Amino acid sequence: MRSRWCWLLAIYVTASVSHTQAYGWNMPVGVTDVSSDIYGLHMTIFWICVVIGVLVFGVMFFSLFRYRHSKGAKAAHFHEHTSVEVLWTAIPILILVGMAVPATATLKNMYDASDAELDVMITGQQWRWRYEYLGEDVAFNSSMSTPRAQISGEEERGEYYLLEVDQPLVLPINRKVRFLMTSDDVIHSWWVPDLAVKQDTIPGFINENWVRINEPGIYRGQCAELCGIDHGFMPVVVHAMEEEAFDGWLAEQKEMAKEEAMGVDREWEMTELVERGESVYQTICASCHQSEGQGLPPAFPALANNQQLISDVDWHLDTILNGVSGAAMPAFRNTLNPVELAAVVTYTRNAWGNDTGDVVQPSTVAGKIAQ
Amino acid sequence: MWPVVKSVLAALLGVQNNQKRQEDFNSGRPAAYIVTGVVITLLFILVLIVLATLAAR
Repeated sequence: MRSRWCWLLAIYVTASVSHTQAYGWNMPVGVTDVSSDIYGLHMTIFWICVVIGVLVFGVMFFSLFRYRHSKGAKAAHFHEHTSVEVLWTAIPILILVGMAVPATATLKNMYDASDAELDVMITGQQWRWRYEYLGEDVAFNSSMSTPRAQISGEEERGEYYLLEVDQPLVLPINRKVRFLMTSDDVIHSWWVPDLAVKQDTIPGFINENWVRINEPGIYRGQCAELCGIDHGFMPVVVHAMEEEAFDGWLAEQKEMAKEEAMGVDREWEMTELVERGESVYQTICASCHQSEGQGLPPAFPALANNQQLISDVDWHLDTILNGVSGAAMPAFRNTLNPVELAAVVTYTRNAWGNDTGDVVQPSTVAGKIAQ
Repeated sequence: MWPVVKSVLAALLGVQNNQKRQEDFNSGRPAAYIVTGVVITLLFILVLIVLATLAAR
């Protein structure tokens, strides 16, 4: 009879554990050596706790049942027992030290960001991430691409609702990549469970972390530090590629950056700028100033029919370049390139009834930035 | 000296038998226990620093 109960319990426990893994209630094993080390530590310590729990509560419940008052049990009144006390002090010490040794080894490895083959600067911004491949002249912003209509419930939610971006961070597999992490405004936290990286990005500080990804794939995460109204809308997407594919991608990005830089010097048509500006506006500006420029006063002023904006192009450009001190408006001089800046200024000066007819050229903006 | 050290070590571990405790309270000066306690705590910290330095190598 007793053995049958034991079997039932064993089956139940095994079933619950595998159930947990299948439904993602446990932490992921991940795709780096560090992440599987962390998972291994987690499971080791979990099972140590299970064994201790079963032993302690087993003895307790057995004693409560076996030596109950109704069966005439009498309490023993002894006051001290030095050897038992030494034993129950020494055993936890040994268990804790036993857990600390592998945990320390993993931590040491996690903090060793030396000998990286690629450096990526990750900057948190309200509310997007900026990635800069240091020494490669490649940098871009990564904004959430889930349409606002899905968030407001007008459209059906997609498969990667709130976990999709316009441009993912692309990384090579099998190479050690060092992250240098900071923030432009408030504290954010760059978190990708499959890479076992969750690191605060703090304005004025640079935190280090690193990954060496073992499998190509797309890994998703989120900002893990409450950072304002759109904290839930700045996901992280990492696209891990085979090494050759990554080298090809990086070369392509460099080429595109070069072309973009050349675009600064030429004269742009208004329609080109408006078209480009609309896409910049929708990814960068619309989370505050709203998709139709109506804003969310008083924190986020309307741009449509904004008399100051319409009448003063210099003020308009200056506000976008340098931000508004003491308000939520950040400076975009380092976040957007001159073409994007000129495009978004031209767009906002000619959209939603702001019919100024003004065209601001990328070369003008570049000149302002250089001043 | 040795009984004082033993009592301080027992106190660090948190285990002491009643008979020894009574002896400690009835003989010896408190200052001896306090000074020994401070010294052994400092030694303990030193050991931790050495261990941490070795582990960080």
